[in-house]
Amino acid sequence: MSEPHGVREYLLAFADDEHLMGQQHTEWIGVAPFLEEDLAVSSIGQDELGHAALLYELVLDLEGVEATDPALDVLAFGRPSDDYRCCHLVEYTTHDWAEALVRHWIYDTFEAMRWQLVAGSSLPKLASVARKALQEEAFHRRHADALLDKLLDAPEARERILEALGAVYPLVEGLCEPVEGEAGAMSTGVAAASTADLLEPLHQAIEARFDSSDSIGSRTASLQNRRTKRSADFDPLLRRMREVLDYDPGAVW
Amino acid sequence: MARSWATMEDFEAFLDDGGLVEADDPMPDAYRQAVFAFIEMHANSELMGGLTERDWIPKTPGLRHKMAVLAKTQDEIGHGHLLYMVAADLGVKTRVEMLEDLFAGRSRFHNVFHYRAVTWGDQVAIAFLVDAAALISQQAVFKNCSYGPYKRILRRIIAEEGFHMRLGEDRMLRIAEGTDRQRLMFQESLNRWFWPALQLFGPDSESDDVLLRWHIKSERNEVLRDRWVQKFVPMLQSYGFTVPAPDMRWDAVRHRWDVGPIDWEPLKRTLAQGGPDSSRRIREAADNWSRTAWVRAALSHNNVAANDAGNGSTSAGGS
Repeated sequence: MSEPHGVREYLLAFADDEHLMGQQHTEWIGVAPFLEEDLAVSSIGQDELGHAALLYELVLDLEGVEATDPALDVLAFGRPSDDYRCCHLVEYTTHDWAEALVRHWIYDTFEAMRWQLVAGSSLPKLASVARKALQEEAFHRRHADALLDKLLDAPEARERILEALGAVYPLVEGLCEPVEGEAGAMSTGVAAASTADLLEPLHQAIEARFDSSDSIGSRTASLQNRRTKRSADFDPLLRRMREVLDYDPGAVW
Repeated sequence: MARSWATMEDFEAFLDDGGLVEADDPMPDAYRQAVFAFIEMHANSELMGGLTERDWIPKTPGLRHKMAVLAKTQDEIGHGHLLYMVAADLGVKTRVEMLEDLFAGRSRFHNVFHYRAVTWGDQVAIAFLVDAAALISQQAVFKNCSYGPYKRILRRIIAEEGFHMRLGEDRMLRIAEGTDRQRLMFQESLNRWFWPALQLFGPDSESDDVLLRWHIKSERNEVLRDRWVQKFVPMLQSYGFTVPAPDMRWDAVRHRWDVGPIDWEPLKRTLAQGGPDSSRRIREAADNWSRTAWVRAALSHNNVAANDAGNGSTSAGGS
């Protein structure tokens, strides 16, 4: 894979993760445990979708395409499923709010580390997006941590949170799985280090946060094949996201 | 700040002079109950409106479009949040009591949120027609509202609702200028939502309406309803849509649109929780509330959110 293709694939993986994570937050608006939480997820969801939009814009820059809304939406919604590079953690359909909260914490912990890798990127626009995103991520982490601090302290809630951790933990390995093109992103200075380097620090952070080896269990290998393989949850999710767009492909909404 | 009124006549004279009542004033109980019921219904409606729209938020066509929709939803839920605090300060019910009454079907919310948004066109029709109707009502309350805390919150709500209506108008215009399928979709949405939006204003005000006498409302229902009709009928027609009112006619003498007789039965059914989507909406909200009870219990165990959930003071770990 040539370097420009590698950079493109690297940015797409980042953008797709942010896009799907933002999308997943939209599913919890209005059904969170209390109003402040509804507000928080709508705000965090906007941030993640905003990151996705900026990252897709960088992909369009590489292609020399103007970043209009329709061009952005073709990238975000219009690719065949095997062209997406998201990880299975963000594709995963959560079954309850505890899973949504645990995923939110794990993803945002990882995301802050990932932005650090590109904070000094050779792509100036990516470096500037990273600075903005890192500020937002501090709030996202504080939000998830404040809830977990309290919930992990209450016996029944702790049990539910750890059960949720058990459900999403097998997807952690894939979160840090790089795409094939990452080598190209590193050799051109777009990224300072490999996403795979984040796996150990992320595992340590999870162990420190949840303090439960029972729920974490043994590590599970990723089934993503360098992020080229989608999970069973992906196609129904993409169909849902495309429902209105597919209603009339010639329409502007 | 300690003020008091010896008689209801004194209190009403104070209101007639444009006086503003504050939460800690010794207001007559009938006034307190009337203001509370009005704000509680407004708060419930903001929340249930968010639930009506949430069915379509994940399907919003377009990435930046979805961000705009999320911002709007955040505003709406924020309005509910502020209004529940203002209502709770009246000391009639706590926020949790209001929510539990809502989810048990014991309290009211606006008729329009007893209907289901069945297409994306409905989502746009709500943002365009329903938000506009709500805005017209709120502007009229704000103009002369005698309850200070509500008036101050309304200032902010109205500013934000203005943005929402423009977002709705912008999305409606794209459809109006769009493909045949889009226009057909929106015409069908209009057929479903025109009358519920119009009925949002309620039947003609009674002559002895205490909400008018105590300057909670400043204009009669029929005046507000007519303001909406005169604005939206010509606008919809100018974009080539058909207003689904077969008996509607142009009154050449008064230079006004007359929509014809209004059937109030659908509105009455929603007031009795018997609207087309009332039972699903309430049941789902109640199920969700009970499914997440463990979170609230755990937070109150830590003495944090119970306080918050009870009297609406501070945020429980929100960002």
